[in-house]
Amino acid sequence: MSDIHFDPVDLQVLANHSRAAAENMAYTLHRTAHSAFVKETQDFTVMLSDPAGSTFAVPMELGATWYPGLSYGRALDMIKDYRPGDIAFTNDAYSGYLATHTPDTHLWKPIFHEDEIIAFAAGHIHNTDMGGAVPASLSRSLTEIHQEGIRFAPMKLVREGKFDETILNIMASNVRKPDLNIGDIKALIGALNTGERKVQSMVRTFGIERFRKGIIAVQDYAERQARDLLRAMPDGTWQFADYADEDSDHANPCRLNLTLTIKGGEAVLDFTGSDPQLGSSLNVPTGGDPRHTILLVGVYYVLNTLNPQILMNTGLTRPFTCITPEGTVLNPQFPAAVGMRSLTCARLRSVIFGAFSQAIPEKMPAAPAGNNCIVNVMTMDERRGRNVISSVNPVVGGGGAMPHRDGTNGSGADAAYLRNTPIEITEIETPVEITRYGLTPDTGGAGRWRGGLATTLEFRVFAPDSRVTARNRDRSRFRPWGTLGGKAAGLSDMVVNPGTARETQLGNIDYAVLQPGDVLHIHSAGGGGRGNPLEREPWRVAQDVARGYVTTDAAVRDYGVVLDQGVLDSKATLALRAEMVDALPQGHFHFGAERDAFEAIWTRQAYAQMTQLMAELPVHWRFFVKTELFARLGHRADTLPEAFEQVRARFPQVPAIGIKAET
Amino acid sequence: MTWHIGVDIGGTFIDFCAHNSDTQALHTIKVLTTPDNPGAELRSGLELLQRRHQVDPSDAIRFVHGTTVGINTIIQKKGAKLALITNAGFEDVLELGRLRMPDMYSLFCSSAEALIPRDQIFGISGRLTAQGAESAPLDLVQLNDILARCHKQGVEGIIISMLHAYQSPAHEDAVKAELERLAPELFVFTSSEIWPVVREYERGTTAILNGYVHPRVAGYLGGLEATLSELGMPARPLLTKSNGGLMQAETGKRNCVSMLLSGTASGVTGASWLARQAGVDRVLTLDIGGTSADVALIIDGKPQFGKDEKIGDYPLHIPSVSVSSIGIGGGSIAHVDAFRVLKVGPESAGSTPGPACYDRGGTQATLTDALAVCGYLGHAPMAYGQLTLDLTRAFVVVGEIAQKLGRDTASTAEAIIRVAVSEMFVEVEKLASRAGIDLREYTLMPFGGGGPMLGAMLARDLGMQHVLVPHRPGVVSALGGLVSDLKGDFVRALFVPCTVKSVPLIQEASASLIAQGNAWLCEKQGFEAGGDVQISAEMRYAGQSFEVDVPLKQEWIETGDMAAIRCAFDARHQDLFDFNDPEAEAEIVNLALITIGQTQPLHLEQRPLQEAEAQRLKQAPMQMAGQEHSVSIYARDSLTAGHRFAGPAVVAQEDTTCVIPPGIQAHVDGHLNLHLHFNGSHTDV
Repeated sequence: MSDIHFDPVDLQVLANHSRAAAENMAYTLHRTAHSAFVKETQDFTVMLSDPAGSTFAVPMELGATWYPGLSYGRALDMIKDYRPGDIAFTNDAYSGYLATHTPDTHLWKPIFHEDEIIAFAAGHIHNTDMGGAVPASLSRSLTEIHQEGIRFAPMKLVREGKFDETILNIMASNVRKPDLNIGDIKALIGALNTGERKVQSMVRTFGIERFRKGIIAVQDYAERQARDLLRAMPDGTWQFADYADEDSDHANPCRLNLTLTIKGGEAVLDFTGSDPQLGSSLNVPTGGDPRHTILLVGVYYVLNTLNPQILMNTGLTRPFTCITPEGTVLNPQFPAAVGMRSLTCARLRSVIFGAFSQAIPEKMPAAPAGNNCIVNVMTMDERRGRNVISSVNPVVGGGGAMPHRDGTNGSGADAAYLRNTPIEITEIETPVEITRYGLTPDTGGAGRWRGGLATTLEFRVFAPDSRVTARNRDRSRFRPWGTLGGKAAGLSDMVVNPGTARETQLGNIDYAVLQPGDVLHIHSAGGGGRGNPLEREPWRVAQDVARGYVTTDAAVRDYGVVLDQGVLDSKATLALRAEMVDALPQGHFHFGAERDAFEAIWTRQAYAQMTQLMAELPVHWRFFVKTELFARLGHRADTLPEAFEQVRARFPQVPAIGIKAET
Repeated sequence: MTWHIGVDIGGTFIDFCAHNSDTQALHTIKVLTTPDNPGAELRSGLELLQRRHQVDPSDAIRFVHGTTVGINTIIQKKGAKLALITNAGFEDVLELGRLRMPDMYSLFCSSAEALIPRDQIFGISGRLTAQGAESAPLDLVQLNDILARCHKQGVEGIIISMLHAYQSPAHEDAVKAELERLAPELFVFTSSEIWPVVREYERGTTAILNGYVHPRVAGYLGGLEATLSELGMPARPLLTKSNGGLMQAETGKRNCVSMLLSGTASGVTGASWLARQAGVDRVLTLDIGGTSADVALIIDGKPQFGKDEKIGDYPLHIPSVSVSSIGIGGGSIAHVDAFRVLKVGPESAGSTPGPACYDRGGTQATLTDALAVCGYLGHAPMAYGQLTLDLTRAFVVVGEIAQKLGRDTASTAEAIIRVAVSEMFVEVEKLASRAGIDLREYTLMPFGGGGPMLGAMLARDLGMQHVLVPHRPGVVSALGGLVSDLKGDFVRALFVPCTVKSVPLIQEASASLIAQGNAWLCEKQGFEAGGDVQISAEMRYAGQSFEVDVPLKQEWIETGDMAAIRCAFDARHQDLFDFNDPEAEAEIVNLALITIGQTQPLHLEQRPLQEAEAQRLKQAPMQMAGQEHSVSIYARDSLTAGHRFAGPAVVAQEDTTCVIPPGIQAHVDGHLNLHLHFNGSHTDV
């Protein structure tokens, strides 16, 4: 913590003026942006940083929730000799570790007072497309970053107020929608100019010295708030792992592992034990930065949940240190593909929630659904005689059950930033008929407080070979977990023609080709339950049944509540609940049968052995060996060493390394 | 004698404004509200008007009323028990809403609970396509079961909201007719009769809000009519609407959703009228009450309209005067957090128990207590003598904060004010950047009980050069009712490309809207002369998810001049968003019509300017701008046209106090408005 003195009675005033400046930037960008990505999805951020690149203000209403703790430092330093009117940019995930996939284009502008840089105005937009192998530049199947579009290492895009047309031309000839990109970049530049103007007005209001001290003091304040929250937690170490369904197309689970150590107002997040870097685009590029904002998104949610007044800036990241061994999924080596890192990031957040859930069980909710599925349809519009591609609706939710309330249905927790499209608008613009859009009964984990329900979307297409992609599905195999006696939630699924003879279950597959009249059904996972379901008041269960959130059968099975024509049978309920006491979930978490079965084979010990083995293997061998181990453990081999011996027997080229007997 | 009476009910006070159209005299009073006995305050206020200013109710030819009964019903969740009938498979649309939630950094975030719980929402078979054609027939037989459940649950009214009803009301109308046959005791509203626009959630919630407040609003208005007729008032009461206009109270009994922002909107109408009188056409209005500060923009003399205003936690999707509410008011509570950082709000002592210095049970330091400690308050009877100021209590509660901060009471009081002003600063800056305007070109008009106390300080932080304090800042909303016109909104969903192919449809829609507007104005509102009509198109580029309001000339529609319409859209898009795309496909989503019946204009006496130094009432020491000053105090009633004085100063009057920091020149205009100019920026207005 710095020891700069800033009069605390004015701290809130300066924090408010800083936030006003950031909100101004956000509104300017949102108002003038061209693409739906920025305008509707609000996949953008803006911020003000101190001269070292640490964020001191972000907007709280518009934009994505990921970057309040972002540090621009490393990327800033890659450019020398800033001059007034300069604007620099980058979208390269491997230069400066600012951008985390190619569509994210970050810009920053130095703000001068006399001859000195006193702050930077900065921000990013998600460009619709940056070129590369597939439209929109994102696909799970891609294996190296070169396939994910054109990359620009940090460089000046504007020099002393003048655009570098060469750079724009290079971009324009390499991307699929140059007008959208350039329109959005110009809108972001407008936002940076707004930020610069507002900072200069703050300097007039507060004076240059108080401004300089103030933007450090607000970070110190956030740091103190974060440390205070950590100090209120017990010191200790907690381990938690969670899995993404697949580490590439049709393949094996991807494990993220966290050992959280809280001690004296600081926390270490050690991600050792997470999978090796993947041969798909699910890697998360962090460069091993111990405070990379993308590693800490789950932490921001935890801190904000514990103290909604906490200031969002880089200061609150200071008490945290992340460890991400190189060559793993959370710190991949160039040129690993990273485009679909948002799926992994959803799991990264649930790993953090799970660790904190053990540290402060009384304050944390159960797992949110954690699958932020975006559904796109490409089909022929027969009336207008042309192909249309449109986004139908996100299929997300619900939130995990809270200490004081049921989980939010169909949204909430870390999915609350997404918006949907009105059914009527979708049907006007896209030749589909939506046959159902609503909540899915029995998908919220049972508990004293019930998890939030999943969303179901069903629609019919009319043209042949209509293609649907449902990116960021997941949670079709590993359930959002329940806590403290609460049960795990329902799984996500995608089915063609449900309830008919032609029904096809798609599991975790994220695309489908539909023929005329076909109906596609997608539902998300639900949120986990919290607390003993037998302690849920029978009237609440009866109300859930009346509202269609829980079926009569599930009321009996999960809650021991007997209803007769919707009316509570108190006597039968009492008797049934007495019988059910023994069958309650034990332990802090309830994961469900699927994960229990998986972990019976892939035990903690097996994972510890694999982690150690991977650490010794050269990076380019790791994903290959992991895949081969999965083909053997639980099939032809009973232990990981045995599986590894079989791999080495089949592939004598595998470098010679050994497994220690005990870990 | 002919009197025009405007009445506005707020949280703490009910404001009266009586204008004599023969003498141009304008009288104002305030009485405390009586939440337990609504209507009593109206009676006592009218009696006070008669006693103090000889306003005889039987001479009132016009009575305009703004009321919070609708919005309070929603905020207090005291509305009707409703059922919703919609398409099977879409029963959860109301709960899902648009998904994105406030407080999205919190794992505990959720939307407000829907006004109709899921077990009172019923889906029935039947479906229309996006073109309004039937793709599955209605099954009205299902209504028997639904009604049985409604009766069991004690439902009072039913809302019908079905997909694509903006294209064709056929299904909704058929359900409504059947319900009226089967259960005539229930009231029924359909989404297509209330506001027939595309977007099922927005259209449905508008109809729900209407039904939710309907019994209370209708009951209240019935009571109002009875009270007025008992008092012998000949005027039929008019109601101020969210759109800044008026309608007959009788109309408001069923068209309730259009009066939810009644008083708030007429505040902006009143402010824009006053600004026009003062020759100012770009204004930021600031209405500070006990629990909140409402801000709005007047651009080129016109209030701004939005379709996304908030009623408590619920969105309101009909055209309404855009007003942003900030959770800071005179009752906002100051506190010091664990890190010794001073905060103000969001908790508020409201009007009960109120600030400690009002001595009505408040025990925590509020913004008003800080203003009292600084010495600004109590130099005139407060709220027409209905409140007393207990300075000692203010010093005690602010002193407690000072102790926690380890500093003196006076500078703590000033710091509380600074923090409160900075909270407003954030929201006003957001409002300005959303609108894409530069506040330095604007005038701040503070009103309400608290606006003039903080207006100059906020203006300085925002870089605004000019503050205009109206003569009677406490009753701007009540005055707003008196200067409003009858105003009805009508809309027709089209969703057609902006090409010549669409001309016949647009012409037909326009003719039908004009006919609807005329019928409303002449038959329902009893307006005799021909009204004015404004037509606009809500347009977008294909694929955009929001529309831009484009005012149209009627001749463009009559001659089918789509090029002119297109051109106007591109220009408007450029204005609002700094870019346009003349090559892209454009669509007309809705055609909207506003019909206006102008009422008798109000005239205020304009006094000749007699340039003179104002005479101060007295001088008193006050904490201002970081130090103690000897501050001149002026009585507002003694300030006349042409008077000038300089800050630091305080102007005391019965409905508010105006605080004028050092470095400001003040000047009174012919309408007795007070103009404040920051030094170095003086221009005469």
